[in-house]
Amino acid sequence: MVRLGPFARYLLMRAAFLLATYITAITIVFLLPRLIPGNPLALLLTQLYQQAQANPEAIKEVYKTLMEEFGVGKPLWEQYVDFLSHALRGDLGTSIAFYPRKVIELIAPAIPWTVGLLVPSTITAWIIGNTLGAIAGYRRGSYFEKTVLTVSLILSQTPYYWLAMLLVYIFAIKLNLFPAGGGYSYGLVPSLTPEFIADLLWHYTLPFLSIVLVAVGGWAIGMRVLVIYELGADYMVFSENLGVEERKLFRYAFRNSLLPQVTGLALSLGSVLGGQLITEIVFNYPGTGYILFRGLSTLDYPLIQGVFIILVATLFLANFIVDFIYALIDPRIRLGYAQA
Amino acid sequence: MAVPTIVWVLLTNRRFVVGIALFLAVVLTGVIGPLLYPVDPLSFAGPMETPPCEKYPLGTDTYGRDVLAQLLVGTRTSLYVGFLTALIAMAIGTVIGAAAGVKGGLVDEALMAITNVTLSIPSILLAILIASYLKVRSLEVVAAILGITSWPWYARAIRAQLLSLREREFIYLSRMAGYSDLRLAFEDLLPNIATYIFMAMVLFINGGILGEAGLSIIGLGPTQGVSLGLMLQWATLMEAFRRGLWWWFVPPGVMIVAATSSLMIVSTAMDEVFNPRLRERG
Repeated sequence: MVRLGPFARYLLMRAAFLLATYITAITIVFLLPRLIPGNPLALLLTQLYQQAQANPEAIKEVYKTLMEEFGVGKPLWEQYVDFLSHALRGDLGTSIAFYPRKVIELIAPAIPWTVGLLVPSTITAWIIGNTLGAIAGYRRGSYFEKTVLTVSLILSQTPYYWLAMLLVYIFAIKLNLFPAGGGYSYGLVPSLTPEFIADLLWHYTLPFLSIVLVAVGGWAIGMRVLVIYELGADYMVFSENLGVEERKLFRYAFRNSLLPQVTGLALSLGSVLGGQLITEIVFNYPGTGYILFRGLSTLDYPLIQGVFIILVATLFLANFIVDFIYALIDPRIRLGYAQA
Repeated sequence: MAVPTIVWVLLTNRRFVVGIALFLAVVLTGVIGPLLYPVDPLSFAGPMETPPCEKYPLGTDTYGRDVLAQLLVGTRTSLYVGFLTALIAMAIGTVIGAAAGVKGGLVDEALMAITNVTLSIPSILLAILIASYLKVRSLEVVAAILGITSWPWYARAIRAQLLSLREREFIYLSRMAGYSDLRLAFEDLLPNIATYIFMAMVLFINGGILGEAGLSIIGLGPTQGVSLGLMLQWATLMEAFRRGLWWWFVPPGVMIVAATSSLMIVSTAMDEVFNPRLRERG
């Protein structure tokens, strides 16, 4: 029980930090349109108002809803409290382009698609990349190391979305092996039948590959350096001179180098997610990237903001899970807090 | 004598030579290319969607514009955005990271709180949000958006590097000698992480080039001119990759990868040469 104390405390602190950050993110969403000169939201309202005068009742309704949600006429702090309390309860406002549908209704069905692409591809890339990088670092100067490093350097700097275009062009258009886009075939209804799952995986392959290939490069580069550092550490040189067998040495180096890579996982999820959103657009994949793109092309600000808030929340949940794993495998965390 | 030796060591490193040659080729393409091939990249004069031929070495797009002309000017634009992004991000990151690392205490806590909060929000998402509110986006605005959203990891890394150095003997000696914090930062600490700073710069330039392309594809790139990202956006809008118009979407991507990966190759090679912990033993 005593040993569990610092562990729980660490997790609690992480949770508090993530919550504070989440509120900051919402605050940024609130402040941005109000700080930018020419207030884009107000501009949108004026535009809608002019359209409403031209004719239909429908636009007047949109206008009224927006006026209320934006809090026109209320003092800033009241607007902020409203916005924050709504956002924390999951009410992200009403879409303009898809009026009268709520933003959350539009985003919710897209989240499983995005998470279903993000998490498996990130984990796969993490495992493959770290393994390749560790072996490369251990076999310094070999042909294997040189190949892994060069290929990783190029892959890691390739934009996901361009790789996505190449994959579509080669494997879907030229070779006709995979579909050119979409989450599943037209006419199929999402269900748990083998037929649908096979179709799903068939559509999944190219988007999955486009993310894994790029991400593998980054992990391999990082891991190679970490292992080389580790091999140069005093304890390693000492063990080597003691005649500890090679496989054991490799295992020491690998284990110790993995820790920073776990921390890196939390950070990389965010940047992978950013790239993935654009990849989804290239593939017409029914994830949040696609929703975001529709929001952007119609300047549907409530929808754009909603996607931002939801994605940040999803990411923080993932970060917390990574923190949990990290705390489990790093005894130094418990030690550090026990001393403090 | 020291400098020629270093240059010699670098020039005998094959990876460095290949990387720097490739990067110089990209820079020359962007700087001199448009002068050697003075065709208006935005002129609708040509025929539609023509594959590469004698008159149009890289073909034309749906609007009858010359793809090669776009590629040359686009390379210049993208490099400019990349460098500017790096400049902005590193200025912010160095100041915050160094202040936190050298000062320590409350300053450190406060700055790191800001950094960690910003770091937790994915930079590209924040960039998308900011860009969506700006109706007119010049190249400088795009670079500023990318720079402002990408500095945190660097500030944290600088601080971490400085903290690990702080406990070394030579720092204690300098402190005992009564050096000021500023002198400590510039004479003892920052030179020790010079390679690290260079590698970070490479990452930021690449981040700027890739970020511009990413923003452009979803319609949030520069609102004027030509860039590699804008070329990809037009190609995406017209579904070039689904319709087999390879000459339209392949060249800008190849140019982006050439620019970014050559820089990565250079920085990796330099790290191998300068970083004592990476030198091969025996």
